[in-house]
Amino acid sequence: MRKIINNPDAFVDEFVEGIELAHPELVKRPGDDPRVMVRADAPVAGHVGIVTGGGSGHLPLFKGYVGAGLCSAVAIGNVFSSPSSAQILEATMAVDGGAGVLYLYGNYGGDVFNFDLAVDLAELEGIRTRTVLGRDDVASQPKERKLDRRGVAGILFAYKAAGAAAERGDDLDAVAAAAEDVIDNTATMGIGLSPTILPTTGQPSFELPEGEMEIGIGIHGEPGIHRGQLEPADRIADRLLDALVADLELQAGDSVAVLVNGMGATPLEELYVLYRRVHQRLTEQQIAIAKRYVGEYATSLEMAGASISLLKLNENRLALLNSPARSPFFQEG
Amino acid sequence: MNSHELNEAIRKSLAAVVAYADELRDLDQALGDGDLGITISVGAKAVINALEALDDSTLPADLARACAKAFANANPSTMAALVAGGLLAGSRVWADKTSVTVADAADFTRAGGENIALRGKAQLGDKTILDAIAPAAEALAGSDDAETALDAAIEAADRAVIETTALQSNRGRASWLQERSIGLQDPGATAFLRFLQSWKSANYSAERTS
Repeated sequence: MRKIINNPDAFVDEFVEGIELAHPELVKRPGDDPRVMVRADAPVAGHVGIVTGGGSGHLPLFKGYVGAGLCSAVAIGNVFSSPSSAQILEATMAVDGGAGVLYLYGNYGGDVFNFDLAVDLAELEGIRTRTVLGRDDVASQPKERKLDRRGVAGILFAYKAAGAAAERGDDLDAVAAAAEDVIDNTATMGIGLSPTILPTTGQPSFELPEGEMEIGIGIHGEPGIHRGQLEPADRIADRLLDALVADLELQAGDSVAVLVNGMGATPLEELYVLYRRVHQRLTEQQIAIAKRYVGEYATSLEMAGASISLLKLNENRLALLNSPARSPFFQEG
Repeated sequence: MNSHELNEAIRKSLAAVVAYADELRDLDQALGDGDLGITISVGAKAVINALEALDDSTLPADLARACAKAFANANPSTMAALVAGGLLAGSRVWADKTSVTVADAADFTRAGGENIALRGKAQLGDKTILDAIAPAAEALAGSDDAETALDAAIEAADRAVIETTALQSNRGRASWLQERSIGLQDPGATAFLRFLQSWKSANYSAERTS
């Protein structure tokens, strides 16, 4: 294992501290627990707070999206492990401005258990919460079981929409509805080319023979729907895009936001090769691209691979995406 | 049982249940990830510490809430989150009561089990802690005498542990073993049985302890 780390057990605390030291104008630690980070101006009186969280190892997810117009707080777990309910509760109390708090995070068992317990704990503190789960990975379940899908890179769109709604003063139900509406219209699929190495064990998260790729991979290396020979970029883009267009039932005249996301070890150049094909194919199908994001938005440490997300747009969703936002890893406007 | 008596009974029971931590760890290593032993031992100690800090004016429902928070935070495992959620659900049933009866204990246990079923998406027969909690709650409701009701609950939970051993695990990590889980004793149901047995041995005189 070749990693730039100190004690593997201190890895998470140390990179979180680094983010706080690098971006003091944007984020802060509200108490003593290094696993809770909130936007620097929290709590914002009268506005809905948005708490996200999950395992570490996915930067910029989740810590990178804490700031104005995005999430208000993050509860931070170990690599690929849920944060505790106490950390989620501390984040909740630190950002509650009296208008309630939205829990917005990816659909993974451990996270759901701990966030659900935090719902009960927050209720005892007199804080109303709503929960919306990211579940955009079309490869993880067929469409008839879409509520059981995993959450991956497409949650960015939900952060952006919910954050914009909260920032303009929408109430808790409206902020939750904005997030839910975006998630219902988001689809993501990814491929993996090489595994993640876990810092604590030094072991790869999965085995993949030389020259092969895993199609439909999750952001923890969960197996996908197909393993086969590595293909040219255009063929990969076509496979992913066809699945997404079908899932969202996109038609000529529709408008979308496109996110081409690197998994951690894939160069930007390769992401733009993918974007080129996505752009050509959508243009051929007369589907307009109103917003595009190309880069690393949700990674899996040093996994090589990429995912493509599409959000089907309407006027309301596009307005929320275009609202200003500022966090350590994301700016708009 | 007033708040003072309840606080003491919980602390004595949890001090006794820690003796089963190694057994629960071993059962969980075979079916899950092996962290149940530490969830129980660290969790029990954290709850005892939290209860020691509360005075006798604390309502029974607030005792249960303190137990839930301490248990959830001690070792934030899935089981800890589920049990803590169950305790919070039970505390809502007790609301503003200043003392609790056997019937209240039955209601608490039933509400706790229902919350665990909801959050854990578990049904009876899925081979989880729910399989011990649900029949024990029914048994507790069968008598006004605390010791008689407790004996019946222990018997019901014991039967559930034995009967579910022959079943396949359908929830959590244990379900990944699929048919290989058949014949292995469920650690969650066993943990609830050991808690009831600890309540008995720690709070009642030896003559009637089976």
